[in-house]
Amino acid sequence: MAILSLAFKSLLNRRVTVGLTIFAIGVSVMLVLGVERLRHDAKTSFTNTISGTDLIIGARSGSIQLLLYSVFRIGNATNNISWRSYQDIASRKEVAWTIPMSLGDSHRGYRVLGTTADYFKHYRYGDGNPLAFAEGKPFIDMFSAVLGSDVAHALGYKQGDPIVVAHGLGAEGFSKHDDKPFAVSGILEKTGTPVDRTVHISLAGIEAIHIDWKSGARVPGMGIDADAVRQMKLQPKSITAFLVGLKSRLATFRLQRAINDYRREPLLAALPGVALQELWDLMGTAEIALSAISLFVVAAGLLGMMTMLLSGLNERRREISILRTVGARPGHIFSLLVLEAGLITAAGALLGLTMLYLGLLAAQPLVVAEYGLTLSLGLPSARDLSILSLIASAGVISGTIPAARAYRQSLSDGMVARL
Amino acid sequence: MTEFAIKLDDVCFSWKSGTAPVLDIPHLAVPAGERLLIQGPSGSGKTTLLSLLGGIITPQTGTVDVLGTTLTQLNAAQRDSFRADHIGVVFQMFNLVPYLSLADNVTLPCQFSAVRRATALANAADLTAAATHLLSQLELDICELAGRPITELSVGQQQRVAAARALIGAPPLIIADEPTSALDADARQLFLELLFREVEGAGATLIFVSHDLDLRSCFDRTLPLADINRAT
Repeated sequence: MAILSLAFKSLLNRRVTVGLTIFAIGVSVMLVLGVERLRHDAKTSFTNTISGTDLIIGARSGSIQLLLYSVFRIGNATNNISWRSYQDIASRKEVAWTIPMSLGDSHRGYRVLGTTADYFKHYRYGDGNPLAFAEGKPFIDMFSAVLGSDVAHALGYKQGDPIVVAHGLGAEGFSKHDDKPFAVSGILEKTGTPVDRTVHISLAGIEAIHIDWKSGARVPGMGIDADAVRQMKLQPKSITAFLVGLKSRLATFRLQRAINDYRREPLLAALPGVALQELWDLMGTAEIALSAISLFVVAAGLLGMMTMLLSGLNERRREISILRTVGARPGHIFSLLVLEAGLITAAGALLGLTMLYLGLLAAQPLVVAEYGLTLSLGLPSARDLSILSLIASAGVISGTIPAARAYRQSLSDGMVARL
Repeated sequence: MTEFAIKLDDVCFSWKSGTAPVLDIPHLAVPAGERLLIQGPSGSGKTTLLSLLGGIITPQTGTVDVLGTTLTQLNAAQRDSFRADHIGVVFQMFNLVPYLSLADNVTLPCQFSAVRRATALANAADLTAAATHLLSQLELDICELAGRPITELSVGQQQRVAAARALIGAPPLIIADEPTSALDADARQLFLELLFREVEGAGATLIFVSHDLDLRSCFDRTLPLADINRAT
């Protein structure tokens, strides 16, 4: 107990160097835990994004790209697929349901997805959860919009509010479909998936806003107003991708092969689970590199502490010999140094944990908005705790080196340190 | 109690084995309660002798008896706790642990010795009170000095704090290694008076080493180290 209080007071006496060392360790701990959390959350977020879907079908490219634009709403499709091919595949006997998706427009930075009411019926995420409405209901007419919970929350929309869809994916100020505003018909419950950040409108709505457009620009003099469009029977010529649910999972591979060999146009059918895994593996190297770097940063932090303790020993010879004189054993001197290392590491770990949570709190809105990743703010996981205890033991172990030196020094110096 | 506070027989010590001994003392006895000045020039082995008495080092040959305990028969840990329990030490200078408060510096020996803690607590409510009392005996006002870091005390004040630390818990043997050499004449006189008064009050034995011949008049006995040490 006496030694612990000595260690504490001695550290307090050197608060500037000790503070900096604690800060260095804190930063490294924050980094390690942050990387760990990011990895975990990214994986959870990934695997939770889509479930219950047997195949994702889009224009031929790579399955990862298909997954990215259709499910994660990141990036763009290289090509669309024709409505005829969609109809053809959707009508096959082994298909239970399909969700067509048409992407390409946006609303104030959020992606607009053209789909059908089947989306709200069949889309599943996480552990097979269906989409639920916080308020309102699915599309009531051509110009209805259903908002993901983040969109509604961030932009403050309520049921009935008007929404203007912008052409393309640019943030603001580009050409807008402001002649045909939509009205919010419903707002979805939070899902923690990209659905939260999506504005859903009907496929017919997508067609309607583009009816007087050609090649990405309004055709001059060809204004067809919303009411006129409402009377038209609109059918899309193409969509971006569609999700397929099968009656029996056994048919998955057969259908996948059939679609990949589809004659009329080059299509790609991807298994969501496999594509998710591929995408995850793609990031595996970066993940390992990040973990390795953060571990090296921890090592650097601990080395810094060791240097500080070692370089302090010389000026503490007098102090150590005073302690010896009043009855401290060499073992006491050893444990004094080890305790100092332990206290520094523990303080660093606590600081790192605090900075981690503050950082998460600060970064969360940004990360969700920019990367669609929900960072969890929960208590440290068992893995976090084992990492922390590993760092703490590494700190104590690195403390034994200066401690052993102090031990030897105290033996040879005896009662009088010759300065 | 024992007749002799210290008894050395055939003690031979060298810092490195095989080299010429620093100390070669056939016999030295100090009666309990004596105030002994061991006098000798710098480098004559005075400090080494004190380290032997404190049990920090052990001689290659011979026996060191302190307060009836044969230190040379104890192991290192036993010697450490013997020192903690029975010996108070004042150095030449830089006696204090810089990061501890005035009171913490004085009560430091009580952290390592249950015996001295118990003795200190026998006459005081707590350790701080014991330290305050001792410091006031040594004419230091803890309330006046406590606000400042101890490194800002004058050397004379620091030495008196060190004396208080050596005296707390009333150890029967006080060892002082040139405690006055950094003090001016007035401070030296005051320090010695206060130290003697407290040592006498506690009935302790005082071993004081110094090169300063002017101090002899204050001691019961003066022993030139050269007279007892055969090593040169």
